[in-house]
Amino acid sequence: MIDKKEKYIVNLVWTMGIVVVWELIAFFLDQVVHDPMAEAKLPYLHNIIVSIAHNFTELISAAGLTFSRAFIGFALGATIGVMLAIIMSLSKIAEKIALPYLILSQMIPVLGLAPIIFTLARNMNTSRIVIAAYITFFPVAINMLSGMNSVESDKKELLYSYAAKKKSVYCKLMIPYSLPYLFAGLKIAAPMSITASILVDMLGSSGGIGVKLLYALYSGTKDVFWASVITSALMGIISYFIVIFFERICMPWRKQVVQ
Amino acid sequence: MNMLNEIDMEFKERDYSKPREEKTEIKIDNVSMIFQDKKGGEPVTALKNVNLDIREGEFISLLGPSGCGKTTLLRIIADLLQPSEGTVTVRGETTRDIRLQKKYGIVFQNPVLYDWRTVRRNVCMPMELLGMKKPERTSQVSKMLDLVGLSEFGQNYPYELSGGMQQRVGIARALAINPEILLMDEPFSALDEFTREKLHIDLLKIWRKTNKTVVFVTHNISEAVFLSDRVVVLSPHPGRVSAVIDINIPRPRDMESKQTPEFYDYITKIRNSFEGV
Repeated sequence: MIDKKEKYIVNLVWTMGIVVVWELIAFFLDQVVHDPMAEAKLPYLHNIIVSIAHNFTELISAAGLTFSRAFIGFALGATIGVMLAIIMSLSKIAEKIALPYLILSQMIPVLGLAPIIFTLARNMNTSRIVIAAYITFFPVAINMLSGMNSVESDKKELLYSYAAKKKSVYCKLMIPYSLPYLFAGLKIAAPMSITASILVDMLGSSGGIGVKLLYALYSGTKDVFWASVITSALMGIISYFIVIFFERICMPWRKQVVQ
Repeated sequence: MNMLNEIDMEFKERDYSKPREEKTEIKIDNVSMIFQDKKGGEPVTALKNVNLDIREGEFISLLGPSGCGKTTLLRIIADLLQPSEGTVTVRGETTRDIRLQKKYGIVFQNPVLYDWRTVRRNVCMPMELLGMKKPERTSQVSKMLDLVGLSEFGQNYPYELSGGMQQRVGIARALAINPEILLMDEPFSALDEFTREKLHIDLLKIWRKTNKTVVFVTHNISEAVFLSDRVVVLSPHPGRVSAVIDINIPRPRDMESKQTPEFYDYITKIRNSFEGV
Protein backbone atom coordinates (compact mmCIF):
# COMPACT_ATOMS: atom_id res chain seq x y z
CA MET A 1 0.00 0.00 0.00
CA ILE A 2 1.30 3.47 -0.83
CA ASP A 3 0.02 6.60 0.85
CA LYS A 4 -1.31 9.75 -0.81
CA LYS A 5 2.01 11.62 -0.87
CA GLU A 6 3.86 8.76 -2.49
CA LYS A 7 1.10 8.37 -5.04
CA TYR A 8 1.42 12.06 -5.84
CA ILE A 9 5.16 11.73 -6.38
CA VAL A 10 4.68 8.69 -8.64
CA ASN A 11 2.17 10.59 -10.76
CA LEU A 12 4.42 13.65 -10.94
CA VAL A 13 7.43 11.61 -12.08
CA TRP A 14 5.34 9.87 -14.72
CA THR A 15 3.99 13.15 -16.11
CA MET A 16 7.44 14.74 -16.15
CA GLY A 17 8.86 11.64 -17.80
CA ILE A 18 6.31 11.71 -20.60
CA VAL A 19 6.88 15.43 -21.22
CA VAL A 20 10.65 15.02 -21.36
CA VAL A 21 10.57 11.95 -23.61
CA TRP A 22 8.06 13.65 -25.92
CA GLU A 23 10.19 16.79 -26.26
CA LEU A 24 13.34 14.72 -26.82
CA ILE A 25 11.77 12.67 -29.62
CA ALA A 26 10.37 15.82 -31.24
CA PHE A 27 13.79 17.44 -30.99
CA PHE A 28 15.40 14.32 -32.48
CA LEU A 29 13.04 14.30 -35.47
CA ASP A 30 13.33 18.05 -36.03
CA GLN A 31 16.99 18.83 -35.37
CA VAL A 32 18.93 15.59 -35.65
CA VAL A 33 17.21 13.70 -38.48
CA HIS A 34 15.98 16.93 -40.12
CA ASP A 35 12.79 15.15 -41.10
CA PRO A 36 10.72 17.53 -43.24
CA MET A 37 7.56 15.91 -41.83
CA ALA A 38 8.71 16.25 -38.22
CA GLU A 39 5.93 18.67 -37.39
CA ALA A 40 3.31 16.17 -38.54
CA LYS A 41 4.91 13.08 -37.07
CA LEU A 42 5.49 14.48 -33.60
CA PRO A 43 5.47 18.23 -32.99
CA TYR A 44 6.95 19.74 -29.83
CA LEU A 45 4.64 19.36 -26.88
CA HIS A 46 4.98 23.02 -25.95
CA ASN A 47 3.86 24.00 -29.47
CA ILE A 48 0.73 21.87 -29.03
CA ILE A 49 0.00 23.45 -25.65
CA VAL A 50 0.38 26.91 -27.19
CA SER A 51 -1.93 25.88 -30.01
CA ILE A 52 -4.52 24.58 -27.53
CA ALA A 53 -4.30 27.88 -25.68
CA HIS A 54 -4.75 29.82 -28.95
CA ASN A 55 -7.78 27.84 -30.06
CA PHE A 56 -9.08 27.22 -26.59
CA THR A 57 -12.67 28.50 -26.97
CA GLU A 58 -13.13 26.82 -30.34
CA LEU A 59 -11.78 23.51 -29.09
CA ILE A 60 -13.83 23.59 -25.91
CA SER A 61 -17.09 24.37 -27.70
CA ALA A 62 -16.42 21.65 -30.28
CA ALA A 63 -15.44 19.18 -27.58
CA GLY A 64 -18.45 20.18 -25.49
CA LEU A 65 -20.79 19.51 -28.40
CA THR A 66 -19.39 16.03 -29.01
CA PHE A 67 -19.05 15.26 -25.33
CA SER A 68 -22.61 16.22 -24.43
CA ARG A 69 -24.09 14.08 -27.23
CA ALA A 70 -21.81 11.19 -26.31
CA PHE A 71 -22.92 11.57 -22.72
CA ILE A 72 -26.63 11.44 -23.57
CA GLY A 73 -26.00 8.37 -25.71
CA PHE A 74 -23.92 6.82 -22.98
CA ALA A 75 -26.64 7.35 -20.37
CA LEU A 76 -29.26 5.97 -22.74
CA GLY A 77 -27.10 2.96 -23.64
CA ALA A 78 -26.31 2.26 -20.00
CA THR A 79 -30.01 2.32 -19.10
CA ILE A 80 -30.85 -0.05 -21.94
CA GLY A 81 -27.92 -2.28 -20.97
CA VAL A 82 -29.06 -2.51 -17.35
CA MET A 83 -32.65 -3.26 -18.38
CA LEU A 84 -31.52 -5.95 -20.82
CA ALA A 85 -29.35 -7.52 -18.12
CA ILE A 86 -32.26 -7.60 -15.67
CA ILE A 87 -34.59 -9.11 -18.26
CA MET A 88 -32.01 -11.74 -19.19
CA SER A 89 -31.38 -12.62 -15.54
CA LEU A 90 -35.13 -12.90 -14.88
CA SER A 91 -35.62 -15.43 -17.63
CA LYS A 92 -33.15 -17.99 -18.91
CA ILE A 93 -35.18 -18.21 -22.12
CA ALA A 94 -34.86 -14.47 -22.69
CA GLU A 95 -31.11 -14.80 -22.15
CA LYS A 96 -30.84 -17.69 -24.62
CA ILE A 97 -32.83 -15.74 -27.21
CA ALA A 98 -31.23 -12.34 -26.74
CA LEU A 99 -27.56 -13.15 -26.23
CA PRO A 100 -26.73 -14.25 -29.80
CA TYR A 101 -28.37 -11.07 -31.14
CA LEU A 102 -26.42 -8.94 -28.70
CA ILE A 103 -23.16 -10.52 -29.78
CA LEU A 104 -24.16 -10.27 -33.43
CA SER A 105 -24.91 -6.57 -32.96
CA GLN A 106 -21.30 -6.04 -31.97
CA MET A 107 -20.06 -7.68 -35.18
CA ILE A 108 -21.26 -4.74 -37.26
CA PRO A 109 -18.46 -2.20 -37.46
CA VAL A 110 -19.44 1.22 -36.18
CA LEU A 111 -17.80 2.71 -39.26
CA GLY A 112 -20.38 0.91 -41.40
CA LEU A 113 -23.30 1.41 -39.07
CA ALA A 114 -22.85 5.14 -38.55
CA PRO A 115 -23.72 6.19 -42.14
CA ILE A 116 -26.79 3.92 -42.04
CA ILE A 117 -28.00 5.50 -38.82
CA PHE A 118 -27.25 8.94 -40.25
CA THR A 119 -29.25 8.21 -43.40
CA LEU A 120 -32.16 6.97 -41.30
CA ALA A 121 -32.10 9.71 -38.68
CA ARG A 122 -31.10 12.58 -41.01
CA ASN A 123 -29.93 14.36 -37.92
CA MET A 124 -26.38 14.63 -36.68
CA ASN A 125 -27.24 14.87 -32.99
CA THR A 126 -29.59 11.90 -33.08
CA SER A 127 -26.97 9.84 -34.91
CA ARG A 128 -24.28 10.71 -32.36
CA ILE A 129 -26.57 9.73 -29.49
CA VAL A 130 -27.70 6.50 -31.13
CA ILE A 131 -24.16 5.40 -31.95
CA ALA A 132 -22.88 6.22 -28.47
CA ALA A 133 -25.78 4.28 -26.96
CA TYR A 134 -25.16 1.41 -29.36
CA ILE A 135 -21.54 1.17 -28.26
CA THR A 136 -22.41 1.45 -24.57
CA PHE A 137 -25.25 -1.01 -24.04
CA PHE A 138 -23.29 -4.17 -24.85
CA PRO A 139 -20.44 -4.08 -22.31
CA VAL A 140 -22.88 -2.77 -19.72
CA ALA A 141 -25.43 -5.54 -20.32
CA ILE A 142 -22.84 -8.33 -20.42
CA ASN A 143 -21.00 -7.18 -17.31
CA MET A 144 -24.16 -6.58 -15.33
CA LEU A 145 -25.54 -9.98 -16.34
CA SER A 146 -22.38 -11.78 -15.30
CA GLY A 147 -22.61 -9.91 -11.98
CA MET A 148 -26.17 -11.06 -11.39
CA ASN A 149 -25.29 -14.61 -12.40
CA SER A 150 -22.50 -14.75 -9.84
CA VAL A 151 -24.61 -13.92 -6.77
CA GLU A 152 -23.81 -16.58 -4.14
CA SER A 153 -26.64 -19.02 -3.53
CA ASP A 154 -26.63 -18.53 0.26
CA LYS A 155 -27.27 -14.81 -0.25
CA LYS A 156 -30.34 -15.75 -2.30
CA GLU A 157 -31.41 -18.42 0.17
CA LEU A 158 -31.44 -15.83 2.94
CA LEU A 159 -34.08 -13.83 1.07
CA TYR A 160 -35.91 -17.02 0.11
CA SER A 161 -36.12 -17.98 3.78
CA TYR A 162 -37.94 -14.69 4.39
CA ALA A 163 -40.26 -15.37 1.46
CA ALA A 164 -39.06 -12.19 -0.28
CA LYS A 165 -40.82 -11.12 -3.46
CA LYS A 166 -39.00 -10.95 -6.82
CA LYS A 167 -38.94 -7.17 -6.65
CA SER A 168 -37.27 -7.23 -3.22
CA VAL A 169 -34.77 -9.83 -4.38
CA TYR A 170 -33.70 -7.50 -7.19
CA CYS A 171 -33.72 -4.28 -5.19
CA LYS A 172 -32.03 -5.68 -2.12
CA LEU A 173 -29.67 -8.24 -3.60
CA MET A 174 -29.21 -8.69 -7.34
CA ILE A 175 -28.77 -5.05 -8.34
CA PRO A 176 -26.57 -3.88 -5.45
CA TYR A 177 -24.50 -7.04 -5.76
CA SER A 178 -23.81 -6.44 -9.44
CA LEU A 179 -22.95 -2.74 -9.10
CA PRO A 180 -19.18 -3.39 -9.22
CA TYR A 181 -19.73 -5.36 -12.42
CA LEU A 182 -21.92 -2.60 -13.83
CA PHE A 183 -19.19 -0.04 -13.18
CA ALA A 184 -16.60 -2.28 -14.82
CA GLY A 185 -18.82 -2.20 -17.92
CA LEU A 186 -19.33 1.55 -17.69
CA LYS A 187 -15.57 2.11 -17.46
CA ILE A 188 -15.08 0.20 -20.70
CA ALA A 189 -17.99 1.92 -22.41
CA ALA A 190 -17.36 5.57 -21.46
CA PRO A 191 -14.22 6.24 -23.55
CA MET A 192 -15.65 4.07 -26.36
CA SER A 193 -18.81 6.14 -26.56
CA ILE A 194 -16.68 9.29 -26.92
CA THR A 195 -14.63 7.71 -29.71
CA ALA A 196 -17.82 6.65 -31.49
CA SER A 197 -19.22 10.14 -31.22
CA ILE A 198 -16.07 11.63 -32.71
CA LEU A 199 -16.36 9.15 -35.55
CA VAL A 200 -19.89 10.30 -36.28
CA ASP A 201 -18.65 13.92 -36.32
CA MET A 202 -16.37 12.99 -39.19
CA LEU A 203 -19.25 11.81 -41.36
CA GLY A 204 -20.18 15.36 -42.25
CA SER A 205 -21.28 17.10 -39.13
CA SER A 206 -21.16 20.84 -38.91
CA GLY A 207 -19.62 20.93 -35.46
CA GLY A 208 -17.84 18.81 -32.93
CA ILE A 209 -14.27 17.85 -32.22
CA GLY A 210 -14.26 15.28 -35.04
CA VAL A 211 -14.93 18.05 -37.56
CA LYS A 212 -12.07 20.11 -36.16
CA LEU A 213 -9.83 17.07 -36.48
CA LEU A 214 -10.83 16.46 -40.07
CA TYR A 215 -10.54 20.10 -41.22
CA ALA A 216 -7.15 20.49 -39.57
CA LEU A 217 -5.97 17.33 -41.29
CA TYR A 218 -7.12 18.50 -44.74
CA SER A 219 -5.98 22.11 -44.36
CA GLY A 220 -2.56 21.06 -43.11
CA THR A 221 -2.76 23.06 -39.90
CA LYS A 222 -0.76 20.54 -37.97
CA ASP A 223 -0.75 22.33 -34.66
CA VAL A 224 -4.56 22.51 -34.63
CA PHE A 225 -4.73 18.85 -35.65
CA TRP A 226 -2.53 17.81 -32.75
CA ALA A 227 -4.40 20.09 -30.39
CA SER A 228 -7.64 18.34 -31.43
CA VAL A 229 -6.09 14.90 -30.96
CA ILE A 230 -4.99 15.81 -27.44
CA THR A 231 -8.42 17.26 -26.67
CA SER A 232 -10.09 14.05 -27.89
CA ALA A 233 -7.80 11.96 -25.73
CA LEU A 234 -8.54 14.16 -22.74
CA MET A 235 -12.28 13.73 -23.34
CA GLY A 236 -11.89 9.97 -23.14
CA ILE A 237 -9.81 10.18 -19.98
CA ILE A 238 -12.22 12.61 -18.34
CA SER A 239 -15.19 10.37 -19.14
CA TYR A 240 -13.36 7.48 -17.47
CA PHE A 241 -12.71 9.49 -14.33
CA ILE A 242 -16.31 10.68 -14.17
CA VAL A 243 -17.32 7.01 -14.01
CA ILE A 244 -14.73 6.37 -11.27
CA PHE A 245 -16.10 9.36 -9.35
CA PHE A 246 -19.64 7.99 -9.43
CA GLU A 247 -18.37 4.52 -8.58
CA ARG A 248 -16.89 5.85 -5.35
CA ILE A 249 -20.07 7.67 -4.45
CA CYS A 250 -22.31 4.71 -5.21
CA MET A 251 -20.18 2.06 -3.53
CA PRO A 252 -18.73 3.35 -0.25
CA TRP A 253 -18.27 -0.25 0.92
CA ARG A 254 -15.70 -0.82 -1.81
CA LYS A 255 -13.35 1.85 -0.45
CA GLN A 256 -10.79 -0.66 0.68
CA VAL A 257 -10.75 -2.26 -2.76
CA VAL A 258 -10.62 0.95 -4.80
CA GLN A 259 -7.76 2.58 -2.93
CA MET B 1 -22.43 -8.05 27.32
CA ASN B 2 -23.22 -5.40 29.94
CA MET B 3 -26.10 -4.31 27.80
CA LEU B 4 -27.82 -7.62 28.42
CA ASN B 5 -28.78 -6.61 31.94
CA GLU B 6 -30.42 -3.42 30.78
CA ILE B 7 -32.67 -5.17 28.35
CA ASP B 8 -33.61 -8.03 30.63
CA MET B 9 -37.10 -6.65 30.99
CA GLU B 10 -37.74 -6.99 27.31
CA PHE B 11 -37.80 -10.75 27.38
CA LYS B 12 -39.54 -13.23 29.57
CA GLU B 13 -36.77 -15.20 31.21
CA ARG B 14 -36.85 -18.97 31.29
CA ASP B 15 -37.70 -20.41 34.70
CA TYR B 16 -35.56 -23.46 35.24
CA SER B 17 -37.26 -24.49 38.51
CA LYS B 18 -40.49 -25.51 36.84
CA PRO B 19 -40.66 -28.51 34.53
CA ARG B 20 -41.03 -27.43 30.95
CA GLU B 21 -44.17 -28.15 28.96
CA GLU B 22 -43.40 -30.88 26.52
CA LYS B 23 -45.16 -29.61 23.46
CA THR B 24 -43.91 -30.79 20.10
CA GLU B 25 -42.87 -27.90 17.89
CA ILE B 26 -41.32 -29.61 14.87
CA LYS B 27 -42.36 -33.11 13.85
CA ILE B 28 -40.05 -34.91 11.46
CA ASP B 29 -41.93 -37.92 10.18
CA ASN B 30 -40.12 -40.66 8.29
CA VAL B 31 -38.07 -38.25 6.17
CA SER B 32 -35.82 -39.59 3.42
CA MET B 33 -33.77 -37.54 1.01
CA ILE B 34 -32.34 -38.99 -2.16
CA PHE B 35 -30.22 -36.82 -4.46
CA GLN B 36 -30.35 -37.91 -8.07
CA ASP B 37 -27.01 -37.76 -9.79
CA LYS B 38 -27.47 -35.52 -12.82
CA LYS B 39 -24.80 -37.31 -14.82
CA GLY B 40 -26.64 -40.61 -14.52
CA GLY B 41 -24.60 -42.07 -11.69
CA GLU B 42 -25.91 -43.80 -8.55
CA PRO B 43 -28.43 -41.71 -6.60
CA VAL B 44 -27.11 -40.65 -3.18
CA THR B 45 -29.24 -41.32 -0.12
CA ALA B 46 -28.51 -38.39 2.18
CA LEU B 47 -31.20 -39.22 4.75
CA LYS B 48 -33.09 -42.43 5.37
CA ASN B 49 -36.26 -42.74 7.47
CA VAL B 50 -35.52 -39.99 9.94
CA ASN B 51 -38.05 -39.57 12.75
CA LEU B 52 -37.65 -36.85 15.33
CA ASP B 53 -39.84 -34.65 17.52
CA ILE B 54 -38.37 -31.30 18.48
CA ARG B 55 -40.00 -29.72 21.53
CA GLU B 56 -41.06 -26.14 21.95
CA GLY B 57 -38.31 -23.92 23.39
CA GLU B 58 -35.78 -26.71 23.17
CA PHE B 59 -32.14 -26.30 22.21
CA ILE B 60 -31.45 -29.34 20.06
CA SER B 61 -28.25 -30.20 18.21
CA LEU B 62 -27.89 -32.30 15.10
CA LEU B 63 -24.45 -33.83 15.47
CA GLY B 64 -22.50 -35.99 13.07
CA PRO B 65 -19.52 -36.28 10.75
CA SER B 66 -19.62 -34.68 7.33
CA GLY B 67 -21.89 -36.50 4.92
CA CYS B 68 -24.34 -37.59 7.61
CA GLY B 69 -27.08 -35.33 6.23
CA LYS B 70 -27.34 -32.98 9.20
CA THR B 71 -27.29 -29.86 7.04
CA THR B 72 -29.69 -31.51 4.60
CA LEU B 73 -32.11 -32.15 7.48
CA LEU B 74 -31.83 -28.52 8.60
CA ARG B 75 -32.47 -27.32 5.06
CA ILE B 76 -35.55 -29.54 4.85
CA ILE B 77 -36.86 -28.02 8.08
CA ALA B 78 -36.14 -24.55 6.65
CA ASP B 79 -38.06 -25.37 3.44
CA LEU B 80 -34.91 -24.80 1.39
CA LEU B 81 -35.15 -28.44 0.26
CA GLN B 82 -38.09 -30.75 -0.29
CA PRO B 83 -37.73 -34.27 1.16
CA SER B 84 -38.02 -37.19 -1.25
CA GLU B 85 -40.23 -39.01 1.24
CA GLY B 86 -41.92 -38.20 4.52
CA THR B 87 -43.02 -34.87 5.94
CA VAL B 88 -41.88 -32.18 8.30
CA THR B 89 -44.59 -30.24 10.08
CA VAL B 90 -44.35 -27.36 12.49
CA ARG B 91 -47.30 -27.37 14.88
CA GLY B 92 -49.34 -29.08 12.20
CA GLU B 93 -48.45 -26.62 9.47
CA THR B 94 -46.16 -27.31 6.52
CA THR B 95 -42.64 -25.89 6.49
CA ARG B 96 -43.63 -23.80 3.48
CA ASP B 97 -46.45 -22.14 5.44
CA ILE B 98 -44.08 -21.41 8.29
CA ARG B 99 -41.54 -19.92 5.87
CA LEU B 100 -44.18 -17.76 4.21
CA GLN B 101 -45.24 -16.55 7.66
CA LYS B 102 -41.57 -15.59 8.20
CA LYS B 103 -41.27 -17.58 11.40
CA TYR B 104 -37.78 -18.94 10.68
CA GLY B 105 -34.53 -17.25 11.54
CA ILE B 106 -31.56 -18.85 9.85
CA VAL B 107 -27.90 -18.43 10.74
CA PHE B 108 -25.66 -19.83 8.04
CA GLN B 109 -22.17 -21.26 8.24
CA ASN B 110 -20.86 -18.07 6.62
CA PRO B 111 -22.31 -14.86 8.03
CA VAL B 112 -23.94 -14.13 4.60
CA LEU B 113 -23.95 -10.39 5.16
CA TYR B 114 -24.66 -7.98 2.35
CA ASP B 115 -21.39 -6.09 1.77
CA TRP B 116 -23.14 -2.96 0.55
CA ARG B 117 -25.13 -2.53 3.73
CA THR B 118 -23.84 -1.27 7.05
CA VAL B 119 -24.21 -3.52 10.11
CA ARG B 120 -27.41 -1.68 11.09
CA ARG B 121 -28.94 -2.05 7.64
CA ASN B 122 -27.98 -5.73 7.47
CA VAL B 123 -29.86 -6.37 10.70
CA CYS B 124 -32.68 -4.20 9.42
CA MET B 125 -33.11 -6.13 6.17
CA PRO B 126 -35.60 -8.83 7.32
CA MET B 127 -37.75 -6.14 8.93
CA GLU B 128 -37.91 -4.25 5.66
CA LEU B 129 -39.19 -7.43 4.05
CA LEU B 130 -41.77 -7.73 6.79
CA GLY B 131 -42.92 -4.19 6.03
CA MET B 132 -42.22 -2.79 9.48
CA LYS B 133 -42.33 0.99 9.95
CA LYS B 134 -39.07 2.89 10.11
CA PRO B 135 -39.13 4.06 13.76
CA GLU B 136 -40.02 0.54 14.83
CA ARG B 137 -37.16 -0.87 12.75
CA THR B 138 -34.64 1.59 14.15
CA SER B 139 -35.43 0.75 17.76
CA GLN B 140 -35.48 -2.98 17.07
CA VAL B 141 -32.08 -2.81 15.33
CA SER B 142 -30.59 -1.00 18.34
CA LYS B 143 -32.05 -3.61 20.65
CA MET B 144 -30.64 -6.47 18.57
CA LEU B 145 -27.19 -4.91 18.36
CA ASP B 146 -27.22 -4.46 22.15
CA LEU B 147 -28.14 -8.11 22.48
CA VAL B 148 -25.11 -9.28 20.50
CA GLY B 149 -22.83 -6.57 21.91
CA LEU B 150 -22.22 -4.67 18.68
CA SER B 151 -23.92 -1.32 19.40
CA GLU B 152 -20.77 0.61 18.58
CA PHE B 153 -20.39 -0.96 15.16
CA GLY B 154 -23.77 -0.12 13.66
CA GLN B 155 -22.39 2.24 11.02
CA ASN B 156 -19.51 -0.04 9.97
CA TYR B 157 -19.49 -2.12 6.84
CA PRO B 158 -19.08 -5.90 7.18
CA TYR B 159 -15.53 -5.90 5.80
CA GLU B 160 -14.47 -3.76 8.76
CA LEU B 161 -15.51 -6.45 11.27
CA SER B 162 -13.76 -9.62 12.41
CA GLY B 163 -15.21 -13.04 11.57
CA GLY B 164 -16.71 -13.44 15.04
CA MET B 165 -18.37 -10.03 14.89
CA GLN B 166 -19.76 -10.76 11.44
CA GLN B 167 -21.26 -13.99 12.73
CA ARG B 168 -22.88 -12.07 15.59
CA VAL B 169 -24.41 -9.67 13.06
CA GLY B 170 -25.83 -12.76 11.35
CA ILE B 171 -27.35 -13.89 14.66
CA ALA B 172 -28.76 -10.41 15.35
CA ARG B 173 -30.33 -10.37 11.89
CA ALA B 174 -31.87 -13.82 12.41
CA LEU B 175 -33.38 -12.70 15.73
CA ALA B 176 -34.50 -9.30 14.44
CA ILE B 177 -37.98 -10.28 13.33
CA ASN B 178 -38.46 -12.38 16.45
CA PRO B 179 -38.73 -15.73 14.70
CA GLU B 180 -40.24 -18.67 16.52
CA ILE B 181 -37.61 -21.09 15.35
CA LEU B 182 -33.90 -20.40 15.09
CA LEU B 183 -32.05 -22.66 12.66
CA MET B 184 -28.27 -22.58 12.90
CA ASP B 185 -26.07 -24.36 10.39
CA GLU B 186 -22.57 -24.80 11.86
CA PRO B 187 -22.53 -21.10 12.68
CA PHE B 188 -19.25 -21.13 14.60
CA SER B 189 -17.26 -23.69 12.65
CA ALA B 190 -15.16 -21.10 10.82
CA LEU B 191 -14.15 -19.29 14.01
CA ASP B 192 -11.18 -19.73 16.29
CA GLU B 193 -11.59 -21.54 19.62
CA PHE B 194 -11.56 -18.37 21.78
CA THR B 195 -14.19 -16.55 19.76
CA ARG B 196 -16.28 -19.69 19.57
CA GLU B 197 -16.31 -20.19 23.35
CA LYS B 198 -17.35 -16.59 23.88
CA LEU B 199 -20.13 -16.90 21.33
CA HIS B 200 -21.35 -20.11 23.02
CA ILE B 201 -21.89 -18.21 26.25
CA ASP B 202 -23.49 -15.31 24.36
CA LEU B 203 -25.78 -17.64 22.44
CA LEU B 204 -26.98 -19.38 25.62
CA LYS B 205 -27.70 -16.00 27.21
CA ILE B 206 -29.65 -14.89 24.16
CA TRP B 207 -31.52 -18.17 24.01
CA ARG B 208 -32.42 -17.90 27.70
CA LYS B 209 -33.83 -14.45 27.10
CA THR B 210 -35.71 -15.14 23.91
CA ASN B 211 -37.17 -18.60 24.57
CA LYS B 212 -36.81 -19.78 21.00
CA THR B 213 -36.68 -23.29 19.70
CA VAL B 214 -33.14 -23.70 18.40
CA VAL B 215 -32.00 -26.36 15.94
CA PHE B 216 -28.22 -26.29 15.90
CA VAL B 217 -26.16 -28.23 13.38
CA THR B 218 -22.56 -29.04 14.32
CA HIS B 219 -19.78 -31.59 13.95
CA ASN B 220 -18.21 -30.58 17.26
CA ILE B 221 -19.15 -32.95 20.12
CA SER B 222 -18.26 -30.68 23.04
CA GLU B 223 -20.05 -27.76 21.41
CA ALA B 224 -23.19 -29.87 21.07
CA VAL B 225 -23.01 -31.11 24.68
CA PHE B 226 -22.35 -27.67 26.12
CA LEU B 227 -25.20 -25.94 24.32
CA SER B 228 -27.99 -28.47 24.00
CA ASP B 229 -30.92 -29.95 25.87
CA ARG B 230 -30.74 -32.91 23.54
CA VAL B 231 -28.14 -34.10 21.06
CA VAL B 232 -29.30 -36.00 18.00
CA VAL B 233 -26.44 -38.15 16.73
CA LEU B 234 -26.61 -38.81 13.01
CA SER B 235 -24.50 -41.36 11.22
CA PRO B 236 -23.65 -41.39 7.52
CA HIS B 237 -24.23 -43.63 4.51
CA PRO B 238 -27.15 -43.32 4.57
CA GLY B 239 -27.80 -40.45 6.99
CA ARG B 240 -29.96 -41.65 9.88
CA VAL B 241 -30.53 -40.99 13.57
CA SER B 242 -28.30 -43.34 15.54
CA ALA B 243 -28.89 -41.92 19.03
CA VAL B 244 -30.77 -39.19 20.85
CA ILE B 245 -29.06 -38.19 24.07
CA ASP B 246 -30.57 -35.97 26.78
CA ILE B 247 -28.03 -33.59 28.28
CA ASN B 248 -28.92 -32.96 31.90
CA ILE B 249 -26.15 -30.57 32.81
CA PRO B 250 -27.82 -27.89 34.96
CA ARG B 251 -28.50 -24.49 33.46
CA PRO B 252 -27.49 -21.74 33.28
CA ARG B 253 -24.24 -23.20 32.03
CA ASP B 254 -20.91 -21.40 32.00
CA MET B 255 -17.27 -22.23 31.38
CA GLU B 256 -17.18 -24.21 34.62
CA SER B 257 -19.81 -26.59 33.29
CA LYS B 258 -17.12 -27.77 30.91
CA GLN B 259 -14.93 -28.86 33.84
CA THR B 260 -17.50 -31.19 35.36
CA PRO B 261 -17.18 -34.98 35.12
CA GLU B 262 -20.68 -35.31 33.70
CA PHE B 263 -19.67 -33.07 30.77
CA TYR B 264 -16.93 -35.55 29.93
CA ASP B 265 -19.27 -38.49 30.51
CA TYR B 266 -21.62 -37.10 27.87
CA ILE B 267 -18.78 -36.58 25.42
CA THR B 268 -17.60 -40.17 25.96
CA LYS B 269 -21.14 -41.46 25.62
CA ILE B 270 -21.65 -39.67 22.33
CA ARG B 271 -18.27 -40.77 21.03
CA ASN B 272 -19.17 -44.37 21.86
CA SER B 273 -22.47 -44.06 20.09
CA PHE B 274 -20.49 -43.29 16.92
CA GLU B 275 -18.32 -46.33 17.31
CA GLY B 276 -21.39 -48.48 17.82
CA VAL B 277 -22.57 -47.62 14.33
